[in-house]
Amino acid sequence: MHLRRRLVDRITGSWMVLSLITILLLPIIIGAGLYYKSIPILEEHSLWQLITSSEWSPHKGNFGFWPYISSTLYVTLIAFVLSAPFCLFAAIHLTEYASKRFVRIIHPVIDILAGLPSVIYGVWGILVIVPFISKHLGPLFGEKTTGYSILSGGIVLGIMCIPYMLNMLIEFFRTVPKGTREASLSLGATYWESIKHVVIRHSRPGIVSAFGLSFAKAIGETIAVMMVVGNRILVTANPFDAGYPLPALIANNYGEMLSIPMYDAALMFAALLLLVIILVINLGFRYLIHKTQKL
Amino acid sequence: MKKAILLSLLLPALLVTACVSKEKKDNTISISGAFAIYPMVVKWAEEYQKLHPEVRFNISGGGAGKGLADALAGVVDLGMFSREITPVELEQGTWYVGLVIDAVVPDINIDNPYVDIIKQRGLTRDEFRAIYIDGTITNWGQLLGVENGEPIALYTRSDACGAAETWAKYLGGKQEDLLGIGIFGDPGLAETTAKDQLGFGFNNTIYVYDINTGGKRPGLEVVPIDINENGQIDPEEDFYGSFESVLDAIASGVYPSPPSRELYLVAKGKPQKKVVIDFLKWALTEGQQYVPETGFVPITQNAIDNYLKKLEE
Repeated sequence: MHLRRRLVDRITGSWMVLSLITILLLPIIIGAGLYYKSIPILEEHSLWQLITSSEWSPHKGNFGFWPYISSTLYVTLIAFVLSAPFCLFAAIHLTEYASKRFVRIIHPVIDILAGLPSVIYGVWGILVIVPFISKHLGPLFGEKTTGYSILSGGIVLGIMCIPYMLNMLIEFFRTVPKGTREASLSLGATYWESIKHVVIRHSRPGIVSAFGLSFAKAIGETIAVMMVVGNRILVTANPFDAGYPLPALIANNYGEMLSIPMYDAALMFAALLLLVIILVINLGFRYLIHKTQKL
Repeated sequence: MKKAILLSLLLPALLVTACVSKEKKDNTISISGAFAIYPMVVKWAEEYQKLHPEVRFNISGGGAGKGLADALAGVVDLGMFSREITPVELEQGTWYVGLVIDAVVPDINIDNPYVDIIKQRGLTRDEFRAIYIDGTITNWGQLLGVENGEPIALYTRSDACGAAETWAKYLGGKQEDLLGIGIFGDPGLAETTAKDQLGFGFNNTIYVYDINTGGKRPGLEVVPIDINENGQIDPEEDFYGSFESVLDAIASGVYPSPPSRELYLVAKGKPQKKVVIDFLKWALTEGQQYVPETGFVPITQNAIDNYLKKLEE
């Protein structure tokens, strides 16, 4: 009996470890698979050339990923700039100022936003954001644009990031102990001063990681951005121009993989690039969290 | 003993249910791919189901590229395909039958300020090429010789598809050579052109014309092709008024090919499922009666016979 119990204990214990190892190995397996599939293109072109060249004509064997990489980063940057401040202030209001009843109402709203399929954001972007940019915002800046642009992609993506970012921020602000806040108030600090110096300071690693995770998630968003971004191979600094992010490249051209030589390797390389970009961003934010935690 | 009796009673029942469920599974036909032939396949599926209620259809769009990739990967029984099949694709084991013909037509917004001039003079192949591939014409004024013209809002398809590939082939290029903002899907491109006053796009005929009314879809106007390049649209080149007359022009070959072309259903090797073969045979014979009313041009009897032979092999 004793033996049996120990055995069961062992087995259940090792199952858990095995599951954990599998999960930890997943990114490595995915990365290795993508690398294996993109070997043909890496053998024919140098990595540097693939990343920095802007020439894209698969039929002629030219694969330059720079327009895709720059579009990806540009769209994500706009999304981040547009959503991060709003989320931060909204989260402060919800945790510090708002009444309990209001919070109870607002939570389902955030959850609904998080649960909407991305294609709905895409359609909404085409119906609202694209015409708004082409008719109002573009002319305001003296730009003739169809509205299908990096800016539209950034706006749609920014809105899609909000629920995740907001939820995480709210959670972090809630973990700030009541005592520290009260201590600050009792020292004569105003309410806003305590928020600024105590609450925000205390949850700084949390804020950084909320931004980081939303940022990394945003980069991979495909359908909604693809529907409004214009899908033009272009390196540009003008947000009213169209762009072509990496996920859209993969989704749009998955069908042509079979008929053009090297195309499958190129698309797998695109996926690998995306993985690496997200990895680098994650590591960067990890480092930032590490730094802020020390403060 | 009791157990044995029970088992002997249960076993046949088990076998029967196993067979039934297997049969059920074999009665589904899954199809994905080109938007061009999508309405035709949906119509056939409806009619076929009336005759064979046990057959289930699972049809989705996604573009010709997706259709072929899905078919070769074995995800679907048949892929809808709307451009020429390349030698590389045939090498991969692509099996196909042609079923109907349609065409890609260039279109603009009905409120385009130059719509009357365009309808009167049409555009030549070289002009289309200058707009779509060379990028030397970017302005309506420049194209039509009008002072202070507005820029052309040029649109193309973003997804790998037959319409763009066929349109590019007409202009002597590949889909990747086409300029313009990339919009996903045939309906999306039609919608965008119908909303943008200065928009310029191209669509499969079925997405430009409304099968129920025979007229163009709201907001869209066709750009006539100046086939003989004499700088005006002659009466014999002016067949864009109704869906029927366009289909006639495609059938008689007045409308150039490309952009008109045969539409296929493809698979990886000849389909093994009986229900798929039966459906294809039906589509090539009795099913052809629904072709004109759905907005397509039938293929020639000669071609039908060849494809039927291919199915018998």
